[in-house]
Amino acid sequence: MIIQIPVISLVFFLLMALIVPLFKRRNFAVTTTLGLIVLLIVWVLTVVLVRDVYLNGPFTYAFGNHESFIGLELLVNLFSAGFALFMLSLIIIIYVYSTSDATEGIAEKEYGRYYILLFILLFAMFGILYTNDLFNTYVFMEILSITTVSIISIKRKKENYTASFRYVMLNEVGSLSYLFGVALLFMVTGHTNIDLVAASIQSSFDDYTANIVTALGFMLTGIGIKAAIFPFHIWLPDAHSTAPTSSSAILSGLVVKLYILIMIKMLFRLFGFDIVSAMNIHIVLMMIGAFGMIMGSVFAIGQTDVKRMLGYSSIAQVGYIVLGISLGTVLGLQAAFFHVLSHGLMKAALFLSVGAVIYHKGVRKVKDFNGMASEMPVVMTVFGLAALGMIGIPLTSGFISKLNLGLASLDANQGYLIIIIIVSGLLNALYYLPILIAAFLKSNKPGDLGLKVEPIPRLMMVPIVVLGLLIVYFGLFPNMILSWFEEIAVVLL
Amino acid sequence: MNDIIIKTVVRLIIPFVQIYGIYIILHGHISPGGGFAGGALIGTSLVLYTLVFGIEKSKEKFSERVSEFAESGGIILYIAIGLIGLFVSGSFLTNIDSGFPVGHPGTVISGGMIPLLMIGIGIKVASTIITLFHALIEEEEA
Repeated sequence: MIIQIPVISLVFFLLMALIVPLFKRRNFAVTTTLGLIVLLIVWVLTVVLVRDVYLNGPFTYAFGNHESFIGLELLVNLFSAGFALFMLSLIIIIYVYSTSDATEGIAEKEYGRYYILLFILLFAMFGILYTNDLFNTYVFMEILSITTVSIISIKRKKENYTASFRYVMLNEVGSLSYLFGVALLFMVTGHTNIDLVAASIQSSFDDYTANIVTALGFMLTGIGIKAAIFPFHIWLPDAHSTAPTSSSAILSGLVVKLYILIMIKMLFRLFGFDIVSAMNIHIVLMMIGAFGMIMGSVFAIGQTDVKRMLGYSSIAQVGYIVLGISLGTVLGLQAAFFHVLSHGLMKAALFLSVGAVIYHKGVRKVKDFNGMASEMPVVMTVFGLAALGMIGIPLTSGFISKLNLGLASLDANQGYLIIIIIVSGLLNALYYLPILIAAFLKSNKPGDLGLKVEPIPRLMMVPIVVLGLLIVYFGLFPNMILSWFEEIAVVLL
Repeated sequence: MNDIIIKTVVRLIIPFVQIYGIYIILHGHISPGGGFAGGALIGTSLVLYTLVFGIEKSKEKFSERVSEFAESGGIILYIAIGLIGLFVSGSFLTNIDSGFPVGHPGTVISGGMIPLLMIGIGIKVASTIITLFHALIEEEEA
């Protein structure tokens, strides 16, 4: 029964998305409760799955009992199941928050539509993680793009339409570029199943070098556009800052990471790091990552809108992950994986706490944050924790990921990268600290520092606090999760 | 459009278009076409009805409530058939192994579950086309 869990979770998400319109005329609380139940069921199933994979090793699942070279195949290993569990856990936290803050800018009759899109988004995310087929990955990527663009434009304002148009144009270029790469590989190998293609690439690389290298370039560029890696990032700040808050958290914290995970799958399982490093692709990735770390932060410094600033900060953080991947060592991958986790938590915490401020005060400019900590102490504390994590202060999960990244680059004899990591951390401090100073030290009404009850619903409060606690927890006790990531990385290399 | 000729001709044509659509859906697995093409034909016949008789009358024939059920129902049918495969022979969308009739190759009853899947796709596509068309018209009026 355990091998059915991936399919059953996909079916649950799809059915939930289909059921939402049928409940249109009921009370909306029915829909959200049902959605939460579905998420919790799938979460429990995924925990069982991860435990089973951890004990008994990976397995594949063939649709319709077809052989793997005819049919579609799902591959369940610690990489796919583990990241599915992480993404689902984070989404449950964000979902609980969104049940009281879905109002932000969305018309009331669109609520249902938002949840339909959210569940199709989840469906596509799980599909991308589990699938073991290049073309199937493309199909799920398209589903993901279409749902994302609908979520971005759901507020029906002019800026949303601009952002979503830009998103759809660039991401379509990305998708087609990826598809072209898959087509080139299919020409050489005659398969789309990742395992078969990988075996075939290893044996035919010398004969069809041009095809395979072109395919690698197209696929990397396509995924790079979708993951907002530095020179391809221009769609991200608009898209992530205009979307509703809870979906900004999902888009910035998870969806961008998903494409990074596809990239890891591609570089290490499809082509193998030998071919990648023989072509010097890892040097290119290293430079792109390093440039992104610096330039994303530089762009963020000038921003006056907090959500836009967070968007630019995401570009810098994607740079860290790419840098970790480009080292091509177990330590580097481990640091990259840990940063996927810790940046997901921190960015979600930042977006949700800014969302709480927008909910309560309706402001989103940096200058409006003066004295905010005396009004919303808990929310701003979590914001502060996450911001300090972004800078890399000890006791937060951000410190652990930077430490590991530094150690990994020393281990790979690339010590100069530490300078870039430190400079990028200082640049992060340049734009996060002014907000913290304004919120905690500048007060609009002097003498008014007594703690008050937070003026936001409890269902918004709990997820923010949980995220804050998780950031500190992973900052203090990272060892268990790091050893898991080490195991995943060893299998990939 | 109040032209009596158009109204009469459309009334005559629509049943034939729809029957042809059903034919295409049911023969999807043995001839060109299938769920998408046949569903598009049925959807187009409803679009033709809306064009000639106006959106109010069209909504009486094919209300929003029906389209909601048809759109969700089409995929739910597909998933349900897939789940039969999962429960009977242990893999989603398993065809012959899970007891769907093989039939005689080349006839309508053959190919196991595929005709049933085509019906699900046909329902979904037809209702999506007409819902999209209604949404576009309403947006223009609003």
